[in-house]
Amino acid sequence: MELPILPTSVIGSYPKPRWLLRMYKLRDLGKIPEEDFKEAVKDASVAVLREHERAGVDIPWDGEMWRSEMTEHFTSKIGGFRFYGPVRVWGNAYFNKAAAVDKLEYKEPLVLDEFLWVKENTTREIVKVPITGPYTIAEWSFNEYYPDKESFVMDLAKIINRELKTLEDHGALYIQLDEPAMLNHPDEVPLAVDAINRAVKGIKIKVGLHVCYSNYYLLADYFDDIKVTQFALEFANRQFRDMDFLKKLSNKELGFGVVDVHNPRIESVEEIVRAIKKAFEYLEPEWLYINPDCGLKLLDRKIAYQKLVNMVKAVKIVRKELEKEGKTSTEFRTLKDI
Amino acid sequence: MIVPALIGSLPRPVGLAKKIEQYLIGRLSEEKLEEAYRAYTKKAFENLKRANIKIITDGLYRWDDIFNPLIRYIDGIEVNGLFKFYENNFFYRSPVVKGDLSLKENPIPEWIKIAQEIREEVYPEATLKAVLPGPVTLAYHSINEYYKTLDELVEAYKGVIGELMKELDVQIVELQEPALAAELSKATREVEEHVSKDVAKSAIEDLARIKKLWVVTYFGTPQVIPKGVILNVDLVEGELPEGVEGEVGLGIVNARETKMERADRLRDKLRKYMNRFEKIYVTPNTLLDFLPESVAWRKLKLLGKLGGE
Repeated sequence: MELPILPTSVIGSYPKPRWLLRMYKLRDLGKIPEEDFKEAVKDASVAVLREHERAGVDIPWDGEMWRSEMTEHFTSKIGGFRFYGPVRVWGNAYFNKAAAVDKLEYKEPLVLDEFLWVKENTTREIVKVPITGPYTIAEWSFNEYYPDKESFVMDLAKIINRELKTLEDHGALYIQLDEPAMLNHPDEVPLAVDAINRAVKGIKIKVGLHVCYSNYYLLADYFDDIKVTQFALEFANRQFRDMDFLKKLSNKELGFGVVDVHNPRIESVEEIVRAIKKAFEYLEPEWLYINPDCGLKLLDRKIAYQKLVNMVKAVKIVRKELEKEGKTSTEFRTLKDI
Repeated sequence: MIVPALIGSLPRPVGLAKKIEQYLIGRLSEEKLEEAYRAYTKKAFENLKRANIKIITDGLYRWDDIFNPLIRYIDGIEVNGLFKFYENNFFYRSPVVKGDLSLKENPIPEWIKIAQEIREEVYPEATLKAVLPGPVTLAYHSINEYYKTLDELVEAYKGVIGELMKELDVQIVELQEPALAAELSKATREVEEHVSKDVAKSAIEDLARIKKLWVVTYFGTPQVIPKGVILNVDLVEGELPEGVEGEVGLGIVNARETKMERADRLRDKLRKYMNRFEKIYVTPNTLLDFLPESVAWRKLKLLGKLGGE
């Protein structure tokens, strides 16, 4: 399968429409039937998909409308976790950090319903299914049950693997494991790598790995050992400083973050063009995907949309220049290819 | 003697966070927001009293992290992107040092004054500490684009903090100095440069001449032992180093795990320090921001039960 060169995508989350946030609140208070809540989620999902498509994103997602938060969604569906209440992440952003209080158990599909709905409702051939990775779920949970981190993480890896297989069986082509915490403890990076590799065991489709707000030099030492086809990383937040770690990347793609998701300033098209060209100093265009730094959900929705629009416009300008060199498409690489 | 004490922040209540959000999008007036800050602080002090915590802070309800908003009130600094605070799923905005540092007009002394008034009303027997980031930790967490060395940056921060300390209506200032125990996490930032131990020690000791200092370290064992301060040591992830004298703060309750400690085991743990120090302040091992609010308060109640021995 071929894609236009510099395929554009998103990392995952997108601002929820205000009316959907209200529905989440009403559901938490037990004031609406579950059926009504689900209908609202589905409607919001389609609305965001259309927004991604309208912006011109090649590989969209629905902005995680089905998920309250990136770890909470998973820990609420996996047996063995309990919740004590929200914990602050930054400023006024919180998440319900779960505690493992029993052996973890795969009780039900984690994101299959979302994937099937998105697939049914998009005009794009490929969508990206973001899934929080096993190490990050463990790292962003409390542990009251497991005797050590390794057994905690590896049980989660088995659960995530089961979900990936389910998605693959149902036609998913592109999964992104989100592991923003995988470099938190330098001495545990090998454990995180083992967990990712265990999670993708037996999977043949395309798998990307998203890591953000971390020291990528630590990750670069493991570029070759991690069984994924792509690393989707953040660069705009660090103002494209210190990119030399990319010299270690070979035979794997880079998802290049070109817009800052924590800054409401909308990057200009020209600025994004310059950023993309900077990435060419390290990788051939055929190995590059273009995306925002991270999930856009903390931005105002209009700003998030305009950032995507400018990202796509910038890519179109660069594509025209690449066309002169005869570079118009790129191969859709999967785990079978590496 | 064992005295239960709070260090740093309490988890910012979700209800207060919602008020702040409403204010930020123009749906709540500044006056109403200020009322909310005062009401939540009052409630916190009442709970601290019930929990028997004798030395308190204002919970840093007005702070997003230990650097913000202070760094907004320093000339020579711009506030940059988000970085992980050590290996936690907790982030801070980083100071970018662009010029000579000097203190701007700021509301922090007024916030402390308000907290003192509330303490006087609901918990007059408690001692309130003002909390500030320490110069060493500030330097490590900055992107230094101006000073020649990190040591020079520490000195510059020391000047700013010293100036601010003079304006604060408290007997004790707590300096958050995790960098004395935990190197800036390589997981987050690649910093090749280090602050020399002599500079770190003398910077803190200089500040201790302005006001009594309570220096809070965590995520490891302190590598620098300033004299003439109350040094708070994380006994969960580090240990008490040799050379600590006078009064000491011992972080014995784990503020990064929900599992509750047993009071009898904590007492056993404390016993070996009781011969060595006349006065021991027992504290959480780090900021309570890392816990859900309900668990944080349970942990504080547990600490409170250790007092008085």
